[in-house]
Amino acid sequence: MSEDTASGRITEEGGRSLPSVPGRYVVGIVGLLLLALLPLLANMELGLGVPGVFVFVVDDLFLLHLTTALYFGMFAMSWDTVSGYTGQISFGHGLFFAVGAYTSALLNLGYGIDPILSIPAGIVLAAVAGIVIGVPALRLRGPYLSLVTLVAPLILLQLFIFRSDVFGGELGLRNPENFLGFGVNDAAIVYYIALGLFVAIMALLLVVTRSDAGRVFTAIREDEDAVSSVGINPAKFKIFAFVLSAAIGGLAGAMYVHTPVGGPTPTELMSTTVNVEVIIAAVLGGMGTIVGAAIGGIFVGIVPQLLDSSGWIIPGFLPVVGGTPVADIDFLIFAVITLFLLYVLPGGILRAVIRNGRRVRNSRRGDDGVATDGGQSERVFTRVLRGWREKRRGDDDE
Amino acid sequence: MLGTVAPLQANLSTVLVQIVILSSLYALVALGFTLIFGVGGVLNLAHGANITIGAFVAFVVSSQMGYGGFVGLAAAFVLTGLLSGAYYLGLIKRIQDEPIMVMIITLVTAVAVEEVIRFVYGSQPKVLTLLSGRVNIGGSTVTFTQLVAFALSALLIVGMFAFVNYTRQGKALLATSMSHKGAALVGIEANRINLLVWVGAGALAGAAGVFLGSIQGASWAMGRAPLVLSFSIVVLGGIGSIRGSVLGAFVVGTLEILTVQYVDSSLTGLTPLLVLVAVLLLRPEGLFGRELVEA
Repeated sequence: MSEDTASGRITEEGGRSLPSVPGRYVVGIVGLLLLALLPLLANMELGLGVPGVFVFVVDDLFLLHLTTALYFGMFAMSWDTVSGYTGQISFGHGLFFAVGAYTSALLNLGYGIDPILSIPAGIVLAAVAGIVIGVPALRLRGPYLSLVTLVAPLILLQLFIFRSDVFGGELGLRNPENFLGFGVNDAAIVYYIALGLFVAIMALLLVVTRSDAGRVFTAIREDEDAVSSVGINPAKFKIFAFVLSAAIGGLAGAMYVHTPVGGPTPTELMSTTVNVEVIIAAVLGGMGTIVGAAIGGIFVGIVPQLLDSSGWIIPGFLPVVGGTPVADIDFLIFAVITLFLLYVLPGGILRAVIRNGRRVRNSRRGDDGVATDGGQSERVFTRVLRGWREKRRGDDDE
Repeated sequence: MLGTVAPLQANLSTVLVQIVILSSLYALVALGFTLIFGVGGVLNLAHGANITIGAFVAFVVSSQMGYGGFVGLAAAFVLTGLLSGAYYLGLIKRIQDEPIMVMIITLVTAVAVEEVIRFVYGSQPKVLTLLSGRVNIGGSTVTFTQLVAFALSALLIVGMFAFVNYTRQGKALLATSMSHKGAALVGIEANRINLLVWVGAGALAGAAGVFLGSIQGASWAMGRAPLVLSFSIVVLGGIGSIRGSVLGAFVVGTLEILTVQYVDSSLTGLTPLLVLVAVLLLRPEGLFGRELVEA
C-alpha cells in the first residue's frame, strides 16, 4: 500500500477538466442514484441486448441479494476505517459484527425488546469490544496484532459452542424480529433501509476520515514515531479508530440480523471466511478510501450470488472443471477472480479507475504530458508485461 | 481436535504417548511456518494448504495409483516442496516487501486450494494408509502409523536443526533471519534463501499432511486447525526460532491432550488460543524470540 490517500486529493485539484465537480464524484452520485432507482425497475429484464446472455431480472429476490451486498459493503467500510487508515490490520473484524448482532438478537429473542432499542445496545457492546481489542493493539505491531485479531473471533466462537444453550453454537440463533416489521414481502423497503444506512455510514466515515483525525490515522499508518514526535498521542487515535470501526461494524451487524436476509449465525457474521472476505473486499476496492471498500463490499457480496443464480455451465474444454455448473464452484471462481484482480491492481479498483479516468480525460484534451500524478500512468496490461520482462532480466538490484 | 486424542480416562502412559506423537506432528507443521516468518518477515497463511496438498498427493499416489504408502509420502514431500517453491517464485516474490498483501494473497490462495480439492475429491474424508497394525508400548496401544509418523517427524526436525546449524546454506539462512542487511553485506542472496525456506517449509508441511491424513483421514479443510495451532505454537516459542517452535509444539500438544482428558473435550480448540493471547500480551517476543525488527 505504497500509494497514499492524501495524494489522491491533492493531485485532484490540478487535474480536473471542468471547473465544477470532479468526474469521480459525478460517477459516485450517479452510482448511488442508480442503486436508489433500482426497485423502480421491478420485473424488468436487464441485459446486454443479446437474448439469453447475462440477463437478469430485477425482482424481489435480486433486491434481497443486493441488500445482503449492501450490508457487506458496510462491514468492509468499518474494516477500512481501522485497517485501511491506521494500518492496524485486523483479521477478525467479524468479532465486532457478531457482538453487535448477537447482543441485539439475544435481547430481542430473550426479553422481547424491540429492535429499535436492542440495536443501540448492540452498538454499545460492539464499541466495548473495540476497546477490548484496541487496547492490546497498542502493545502489538504488525503480524503479532494480526494474530491476536485473527484468533479473537475463534475464541468467541469456541465460547459460543461451549455455551450452545445460550448462543446456539455453530448453528447460531433463530432469526429475531424484523426491523420495524418489514419482512420478505417488503423487499423494496428492506432494500431502502439498507441503502439509507449504507449512505449514512459512508457519509459519516468519509467525514471522519477526511477530517484532521483521518489525517492522523493516515500518518499513524505511514510512521507512528513521526506522529508521536509532533506531540500527538497515537494511542488515543488508534483506540478511537478501533471503537468507531467496532461501533459501525456492530451497527451493521445488528441491523443485518433484523432483516429477512440475515440471521445471527457464526457462518454469516464471524467465520474466518467472513473475516477474509471483508479484507478482500476492502483491498479489492482500494484500501484506505472508504468508497473503495464500499464498492468492493458490494462486489464481493453480489458476485458469488450472481454466479450462483446465473445457471452458466463451464465450457467443457477446460480441464477438471469443464462441464460443471458455475453454481457448484462459485466460491472457487470468486477466489480466482480476486487473486487475479489483486495481482494486476494491487492498489485496488477505485485507484485504478480514477487513474485511468484521469489518463483518458487528459489524452482527450491532448495534454498527456502533464499527467497529474507526477507521470504518465500506464495501462495495467503494459505494467504487468513490463513486470514480467524485468523479472526475466533478473532483479538483483533489490 | 484431532483423531489421535485418546478416549476419556485413559491411563497415564497412554496420555504421555499421545502427547509425544501429537506434539511432534505439530512441531513439524510449525517449523515451516516459523522459518518463513523468521527469514522473510511474512506470515504464510497458505501453509495449511500445503498440509492438504501433501495429504492428497499421497492419497493419489499411494491409493489411486497403487504405489504404496511410503512412495506416496515421498511424493508428497517432494511435490509439495516444489509447489511451494513455485508459488513463492510466481506470486510471493514480487510482493514480499508488503506483509499485508502477502497475508491476504496467501489466505485467498488457501481458500482456492481448499475449494479445488473439495470440488475434485468431494467433502468426504479419504482414508490414507501408511502402515497397518499396532503395537503395545508401556501398557498403551499405538498404531504403527502413529509410530512411524512420530519417528519420521522427529527425524525431519533433527535434520532441519542440523541443516540450519551445521551447513553453509543453513548458516546463511540463520544470518538472513537475523539481519537482511548484514546478510547482504557478506554476500548472501536473500531471495535464494527465501526460495530455499519456502521449498523446505512446503516439504515439511506436505509430510505432516500425510501423517495427519493417515491418522485422522484426509479432507479438504484438514489444514485449518493445524494452521491456527501453528500460530499459537510459533508465537509461544518466539517467531523465527526453531527450538522455540519445537518446545511450543510440546506445550500446546500437552495442553490439548490434558484438556481433553481431564477438563472438557468441547474446550479443545480454546486452550491453545488462550495461551496465544496470554503470551502475546505478556511476552510478545515469545520464549526464545527476538523483538520484531523493522526491516
